[in-house]
Amino acid sequence: MEMFKVLIVILLSSVLVDNYVLSRFLGICPFLGVSKKLNQAIGMGVAVTVVMLIATAATWPIQYFVLDVLKLGYLQNIVFILIIAALVQMLELLLKRFSPALYKGLGVYLPLITTNCAVLGVTINNIIDGYSFVESMVSSLGCGLGFLLAMVLFSGLRSRINESNVPAPFKGLAVTLIAASFVSLAFMGFGGIVENMFA
Amino acid sequence: MKKSIRNIAVFVCICGVITLLLAGTNLITAPIIQKNQNNAANAALLEVMPEGTGFEALDMGGYSLPATVTEVHKETAGKGYVIKLTTAGYGSDMVIMCGVSADGVVTGAVCLSSNETLGKEKTYGENFMDKDANGVEAVDTIAGATKTTDAYKNAVKDALNTAIILGGGTVDIRTEEEILADNLAAALPAGDKKFTKLFLVEVVEGVDAIYVADNGAGYVCVVGEQFVGVDAQGALVTEGVADAAVITDAVAKIKATTYKEIDVTAYSDLAAYVLSAKKTASGNYVVETKGAGYGIKGGDEYHPASNEYIVVRVSMTADGKILDCVTVSQAETDGLGDACASESFYGQFVGKTASDYAEIDAISGATLTTNGYKQAVQRAFDAVNVLKGGDR
Amino acid sequence: MNKNSTFFVLVNGIIKENPVLVLVLGTCPTLATTNTVNGAFGMGIAALAVLLCSNVFISLLRKIIPETMRIPSYIVIIAGFVTIVKLLVQAFLPNLYATLGVYLDLITVNCIILGRAEMFANKNPVLKSALDGLGMGLGFTVALCAMAVIREVFGAASFAGVPISFMENFKIEFLTKAPGGLLVYGLLIALVYVLTKGKAPAKTSFSCAGCPNASHCHVETCSEKGAEE
Repeated sequence: MEMFKVLIVILLSSVLVDNYVLSRFLGICPFLGVSKKLNQAIGMGVAVTVVMLIATAATWPIQYFVLDVLKLGYLQNIVFILIIAALVQMLELLLKRFSPALYKGLGVYLPLITTNCAVLGVTINNIIDGYSFVESMVSSLGCGLGFLLAMVLFSGLRSRINESNVPAPFKGLAVTLIAASFVSLAFMGFGGIVENMFA
Repeated sequence: MKKSIRNIAVFVCICGVITLLLAGTNLITAPIIQKNQNNAANAALLEVMPEGTGFEALDMGGYSLPATVTEVHKETAGKGYVIKLTTAGYGSDMVIMCGVSADGVVTGAVCLSSNETLGKEKTYGENFMDKDANGVEAVDTIAGATKTTDAYKNAVKDALNTAIILGGGTVDIRTEEEILADNLAAALPAGDKKFTKLFLVEVVEGVDAIYVADNGAGYVCVVGEQFVGVDAQGALVTEGVADAAVITDAVAKIKATTYKEIDVTAYSDLAAYVLSAKKTASGNYVVETKGAGYGIKGGDEYHPASNEYIVVRVSMTADGKILDCVTVSQAETDGLGDACASESFYGQFVGKTASDYAEIDAISGATLTTNGYKQAVQRAFDAVNVLKGGDR
Repeated sequence: MNKNSTFFVLVNGIIKENPVLVLVLGTCPTLATTNTVNGAFGMGIAALAVLLCSNVFISLLRKIIPETMRIPSYIVIIAGFVTIVKLLVQAFLPNLYATLGVYLDLITVNCIILGRAEMFANKNPVLKSALDGLGMGLGFTVALCAMAVIREVFGAASFAGVPISFMENFKIEFLTKAPGGLLVYGLLIALVYVLTKGKAPAKTSFSCAGCPNASHCHVETCSEKGAEE
């Protein structure tokens, strides 16, 4: 039960309080780049979640059973990014080969994910935070879902921005960033909720 | 095919070169990073042992150390030890970090836990600098906080003892309670090591305290440093007592005590706060009174926190000198207020009169409790004043 | 000005193609580390060091690295230099390390660095690549510092950790938090637009030009973008 509580807290805090995009600023590029349309936002969000889960499942054992054992902690960064890149490539190939429909929905976003700092960020953060394997997986799931949530919310906002009359200097990216700021402000309201949930 | 093998070979080479570069950098930085991390972890230790170069945590399993010691760090160059202690302060636990040099003097002491009294006296630990056990004993106490400073001093002394023990020496590390229990058992072996402090209702000149064996085997009288056993018939068990008559008189006196119950409801002015009153044949009074502590915050008004008074039993002579004092019941805040139920607090009232009873050390962080307690004691004085005016 | 002069290459990164304010690359560290001037400056210099080293290294190896293994090789080289910089910072500037935390690791996936490798260093000689790295790194640092000055001075009433007493009562604390970062970034981009009279940044949307994945990216946004330009 205690374990369950811990997992719930990790999940909710990574979705709402420490949202990767809106409060930790990881994965901003795809957040701004691929949130123009709702279906794109969902596709990208799901792809990121899947890759985060697979990457964590692969990097966690490597950190603890290979790098730590061989005292090669300083290779963490290289090994993790290569694993992520390789996994993304493989996933893309597999999808293309076995499920063209899914590839059309998710696969196209995969190349963008290799250099997505949210994925590398979540794998490294799981190690820094000293999470167990299960906790790491839950945390990755939460981060992915948080990313998806932010993308979906923001794509709605952007469709409205597109239809409004914005002063010239703010057209395009500037107004997008300011709108993101407001969404982030709204998410700040979640601060403190999770900690007090079981109090 | 040949091309892809070449490609992979190039890639592997690049990986190899980068790995070598990294390994080289790591070789240089790893010891520095390790040192930085140690320094960060040792910052607290260095505060009490500024000359320390490195520390390692010591396994305390093999030693019998004072019960207050929670952690021991050995200075790796043999300059001494840093000892972390948790001691029951006055009202709340104090965590104290103390450095002891190899030649047995204090290199520094800090109180890590928040403590109201010591918070104002942040530099108090500095007084112990370069002192040995005797020097520590001689350090000035903080006015009005004898108990806290005593606890601090005892912790520092425990740290000094720990260093002696770790260095292979032997010291008496029994706590005060253990020493008392041992002394009592030695004075009256028939008491089977179980004694209860007697609530004094008689003036017993020359005797500091009397303990009763729980099994009825007799009494132990404390005279200064000496523990004198007396059997149930009133005969001395301990030999070589200088003034045996004082002891036998005292025991005879307490054995002969008889009470007369006083109906407090007859005294309309006392009934509100005096729970019971008794008068001994020798003319002393034992009254139980209540005071409004934190449980009754804001005077005698109802307070939802606990709504319980502090109930105090006080014995005093007809001319208003407290013979003994004990807490009967209380529902003060855990940890802070409940310190009023310890003898180190209520024992302070013994020997006081209406004019000087208020000059006791307050429980730090529990002003309302202390005030409520004083109120109960004040009411005991009031009650005796009224009661000695004659029966109603 | 001669487009191929070494001076042009250097200045190009600082002003005309400023990676943060014009190319809009490396947004994550830009937003995350600019709540203090110290953190922003440290991040800027760390990224500069990595960019300089990786640009030189990749330029040196540009004829050896096989086309198909290009991206993985770049990633390994960049991750290697990032780790070296990280280890050095951890060893000699532990305070900065504590401030930047995981964002130091994440320089690896900063698009500026991979972007410059892909767009410049693998096509140009060593000296020019070095200057390009230096220019882009300085541009990154300058933009980060500018943002950090705004956020720290107005948000925390201090500059590089030194309190500014007369600002004490006028703190806009949310500027140091996440939403403040996005807001200031948005305002700065608008300011750049005004200052350049809308000419320099042709961007109306998120940049794909500098994205290292642009060549094999199939996302509509990117292709749309290509069509627009």
